[in-house]
Amino acid sequence: MNICGILVHAHPEGFDAVRERLLGIAGVEVHGISEEGRAVVTLEEDDEDRLAESMLAIQKLEGVLSASLIYHHNEDDN
Amino acid sequence: MKQTRRDFIKTNAIAATAAMAGVSIPGINGVMAEEQKDDLRWDKAACRYCGTGCSVLMGVNKEGKVVASQGDPDAPVNRGLNCIKGYFLPKILYGKDRLTQPLLRKKDGKYDKNGDFEPVSWDEAFKTMAEKWVAARKKGPKGVGMFGSGQWTVWEGYAASKLMKAGFRTNSLEPNARHCMASAVAAFIRGFGMDEPMGCYDDLEHADTFVLWGANMAEMHPILWSRLTDTRLTKPGCQVHVLSTYEHRCFELSDNSMVFEPQTDLAIANYIANYIIQNKAYNQAFIDKNVNFTQAETDIGYGLRDDHPLEKAAKNVKTAGKLTPISFEEYAKSVEPYTLEYTAKLSKVPAAQLEAMAKQYADPNRKVSSYWTMGMNQHTRGTWINGLVYNIHLLMGKISEPGNSPFSLTGQPSACGTAREVGTFTHRLPADLVTKKDAHCKFAEKVWKLPEGTIPRANGKLGDDDAAPDQTDISGKPMGPTLIHAVAMHRALKGGKMNCFWVMCNNNLQAAANFNDESWPGWRNPDNFITVSDPYPTVSAQGADLVLPTAMWIEKEGAYGNAERRTQFWRQQTKAPGESRSDVWQIMEFAKYIKAEDVWDAALLEKAPEYAGKTLYDILYANGVVDKFPVEQVTDDRGNQYDNDESAHFGYYVQKGLFEEYRLFNSAEGMPKKGHEMAEFGAYHKARGLRWPVIDGKETLWRYREGYDPHVAAGEGVKFYGFPDGKAKIISAPYEPAAEAPDQDYDLWLCTGRVLEHWHSGSMTRRVPELYRAVPDALVYMHPNDAKKRKLRDGSEVKVVSRRGEIVSRVETRGRNRPPEGLVFVPWFDAGRLINKVTLDQTCPISKETDYKKCAVKVVKA
Repeated sequence: MNICGILVHAHPEGFDAVRERLLGIAGVEVHGISEEGRAVVTLEEDDEDRLAESMLAIQKLEGVLSASLIYHHNEDDN
Repeated sequence: MKQTRRDFIKTNAIAATAAMAGVSIPGINGVMAEEQKDDLRWDKAACRYCGTGCSVLMGVNKEGKVVASQGDPDAPVNRGLNCIKGYFLPKILYGKDRLTQPLLRKKDGKYDKNGDFEPVSWDEAFKTMAEKWVAARKKGPKGVGMFGSGQWTVWEGYAASKLMKAGFRTNSLEPNARHCMASAVAAFIRGFGMDEPMGCYDDLEHADTFVLWGANMAEMHPILWSRLTDTRLTKPGCQVHVLSTYEHRCFELSDNSMVFEPQTDLAIANYIANYIIQNKAYNQAFIDKNVNFTQAETDIGYGLRDDHPLEKAAKNVKTAGKLTPISFEEYAKSVEPYTLEYTAKLSKVPAAQLEAMAKQYADPNRKVSSYWTMGMNQHTRGTWINGLVYNIHLLMGKISEPGNSPFSLTGQPSACGTAREVGTFTHRLPADLVTKKDAHCKFAEKVWKLPEGTIPRANGKLGDDDAAPDQTDISGKPMGPTLIHAVAMHRALKGGKMNCFWVMCNNNLQAAANFNDESWPGWRNPDNFITVSDPYPTVSAQGADLVLPTAMWIEKEGAYGNAERRTQFWRQQTKAPGESRSDVWQIMEFAKYIKAEDVWDAALLEKAPEYAGKTLYDILYANGVVDKFPVEQVTDDRGNQYDNDESAHFGYYVQKGLFEEYRLFNSAEGMPKKGHEMAEFGAYHKARGLRWPVIDGKETLWRYREGYDPHVAAGEGVKFYGFPDGKAKIISAPYEPAAEAPDQDYDLWLCTGRVLEHWHSGSMTRRVPELYRAVPDALVYMHPNDAKKRKLRDGSEVKVVSRRGEIVSRVETRGRNRPPEGLVFVPWFDAGRLINKVTLDQTCPISKETDYKKCAVKVVKA
């Protein structure tokens, strides 16, 4: 099990589009957005390689100004 | 409904992130994870990578393996944030090809430069090395050299400086920071008489306007960028202006994105100064009280070899650093040619955008912070352009207060703390002292309990003026001039003047410019013996004759100093693999193999007969100061216990002894320069770093201003106390063209740089499988029209060719970096595509820092 909490910054006026793009990445959920453009995003992906790819994809997404990892938990499921 | 373990973890992830974002989410009541039941021991460390200096918490399991990391919520720098490279920190320790034994090139059981690497004992490694070093040192002070690092811990740099300057009596010591920070340093010393920024990261919340001068903070300093982004999005009216030679990730946030022609940043900075003067916006009272005006020497060449046509054509190579006092009127006249029209035409930035930026600086009611890194430092006029930006801030008095901050960012975790503050450059001694001043050398000799005249003076004389007597040397000849900078070291190796070279904690063979013509022939010169200390078989290790395996980062107790003057400590959190040993161990242990008689001449030894027959280890480290503190059990405030392998080996608290001796340079009676004060050793193990000067336990956030800096007395207002008259210098310098601009044969600019996923030469991050797979190869970022003209498509295999060499790579026209027509960008992390075969070994003639950002290439189908 791999779960990350990621703080994403984006321009508030363009956030709807950014949210759609974020949700296009497997394992991503957007939980809340502040008026100032801060979004609470989680990423769940058990495969380590794909997790890294998804994290990088978030970072490079059009409209994403910055993405910082806040929380990461990794443990065996059994 | 029963909450699963997964739901629980996810709730924690959301709660933690929401707390950081300041967002409340229904159903999540901010309950953080209950007391962590992960059975890990968590302890703080300064991140291994960049100069930001994030604090990270590293989780170590019962078996002693580092398995987890998280941003440190208590850290003022990163406030719990972490970048992607930070998340993968545990993995840099466990690359599959980690070196675990010393390796020496051998044939038939003996050292042979053309032999293959064979495992040897530390004793054999050091014996072989000592024999070579003693012989090479007999040729003169430049016979041996060491190339250290802005990634060395503070005490490693300090121990190295002592070994070279005091032990081997040579100034052939340079850090790789020469390639990244030297221009920033030169400008600080010229402008303020003292190194390092006046402001701090708190400016990221205080500024109204941010100007990025060539820096791609979004990729290179992501955590600072997230703080800047937050200010831009939350502070009404906040603006971000970005100057770059190509479009990059920061342009997403930017309010004013400017792509300029390489080298014209000189003109742009002068235009802003001219705008301020023409509009009489400058702060007259501030200038009158706090500023002197000077003119820089012009036409100073490009730091190439003496026989290069450009050096022959330049008039003032020898006096490149000279400054001449001028009046305000003369200064104003010198920037007059930089009109909006002229600058817009030269730089190719639309006039309206330049003017919009100038207005931000000129508006007395806007707080402006400027940020830069390699774009300005790696520049054949790097010292000038750093200074030209200070000029703007000084004209307006926008300096040394919250939000008004010209800020030079750093690329390495301890470029400031080690390379600069300890002074591991050829011309420096600890705490801003320099080898060109006899009085500074004498003070260092006193602290180090050495006979007067031990430390080689820059001029090789026992006094500042050239009529003073020569320093005596083991070679039997006078010491002679002793300074030698990084690029000159490779030239000296190639020419056989330097025969022994020790590269520690960096990947110099990959990092230095002009691999084919300078670095490689120097390293493989049959007369030369090259030692490389590294955890991994880097390009440099493979080019060496002796490879020493290194205990890295949290495998030893360490300290780094970041870009905002913050000194941070960490404990040894895990064991290094096999026989690898830390750099400080290697330096001190090697000193046991050299006797004073091997490297000191009889005349010097006569002055200190007690050192006869002693080893350099006895003289430098077992000197009653470094070995003063007994071994103690290192324990954190929660009672966890930690190893300290160096202390166990040497029999005293090595790190504490070295640090406390180093601190004498900041506190001993008669110290030549104030302003670098640090707290005592133990304080740093408790704090999340402290920003110097630290006086009475209190750190300093903004220097040179009353109320913030304890060195400025009540009523003094602003005082730039690095100079005796308390005034900073505005230094006029013109636009001069680049050394090698594109022409008919080589029709494109080449700019090199970095990417988010890889740190520097990739020696660590390329060993993290996830990061490697994410960005495996360096690509050639190119404008689609330039690709089309050459009948190339995305992914086409191409050669990037200069007058010096070529590499093969693939074209990328739609990536994260979008160059304008006429420029290509290639990152340099890729050991398989050494872009430094292509670059030119040009430097700023003042700072001697290489310009990796500008040379001429052509791109053809491979």
